[in-house]
Amino acid sequence: MILPYFAIVVLLLATAYSAIVSFRQAPKSAEANWAFPSAAGQRSRITIGFATLLVVLAFVAWFGLSVRHTIRRSSRFLIPDRYRGWVKVEFEVQGAPPLPLEGGQYVLTIGPDGSLKTSSLEQYGWADDSYFFYSPAGVHQIPDAGPRSLIWGKINGEAANSTGKRKYEEFFVGTQEEFKAQPNGEKGTHP
Amino acid sequence: MLPFLIYFAAGTVTGFHVYTLLSLTVYGAPFNLLEFVALLGSLGLLIAAYVSLFRPYAAARIALIAALATWSFYGPAVAKIIRSRLGAAAVISKVSLRLEGSQY
Repeated sequence: MILPYFAIVVLLLATAYSAIVSFRQAPKSAEANWAFPSAAGQRSRITIGFATLLVVLAFVAWFGLSVRHTIRRSSRFLIPDRYRGWVKVEFEVQGAPPLPLEGGQYVLTIGPDGSLKTSSLEQYGWADDSYFFYSPAGVHQIPDAGPRSLIWGKINGEAANSTGKRKYEEFFVGTQEEFKAQPNGEKGTHP
Repeated sequence: MLPFLIYFAAGTVTGFHVYTLLSLTVYGAPFNLLEFVALLGSLGLLIAAYVSLFRPYAAARIALIAALATWSFYGPAVAKIIRSRLGAAAVISKVSLRLEGSQY
């Protein structure tokens, strides 16, 4: 809360100082004093340059680390062929199987009712997930971007009930028209 | 060293403050162009800080222009705070006058 006031004070100081220096006649180097110094000495420049380099390196390191934390392993959703409606994945469900890993991706095989329960932890961050319809004949990819996308309204959430907290992820499978035609009450099937 | 410290402190503090305000647009806050101008002004103050190590008088002119750009956001904000404080004080004085004049 003190930051805006502090910002105003230092800005006022910088404005006043720069205005005085700008409108006052430049003195000869012999007349320079602590308040209106001439160019900084070699030692000061090196010190400031070194300190700036350290700050920049620290910032780059911090940014690199935070970006690594926001990237997660991607997921491959296998949805029953011709399924239409909401898909619900519940995480951290005791007794449920963990998500299998294939080719560095989590594989989430959705049941015929559009739901999946797993004991695995929910992953957060950026990743390029992929969606497939599966049938005995094989699998084919579902478009998940653009106007022909069949994946809409993806959300992550957390709900608390008598059995404790439950983390879930939901999305709608269908055309944009089908998604928009959903009555408000049927949007999402929170556990 | 003094001009460097003044411009650097002003650029860093105002830059951080305006950046935090601008980042709220991610959460749906309306975009304010003056905040963006002020952020550029803060960047100008940081540039002036480093220029002041070599050419203090040129740096002062850069800093003055940059500070004026930053005031484009802080000026209206300060005016609004003062106006609201004065307005609130006026309302309180009216209420107290009424209480003094009433028979209760």
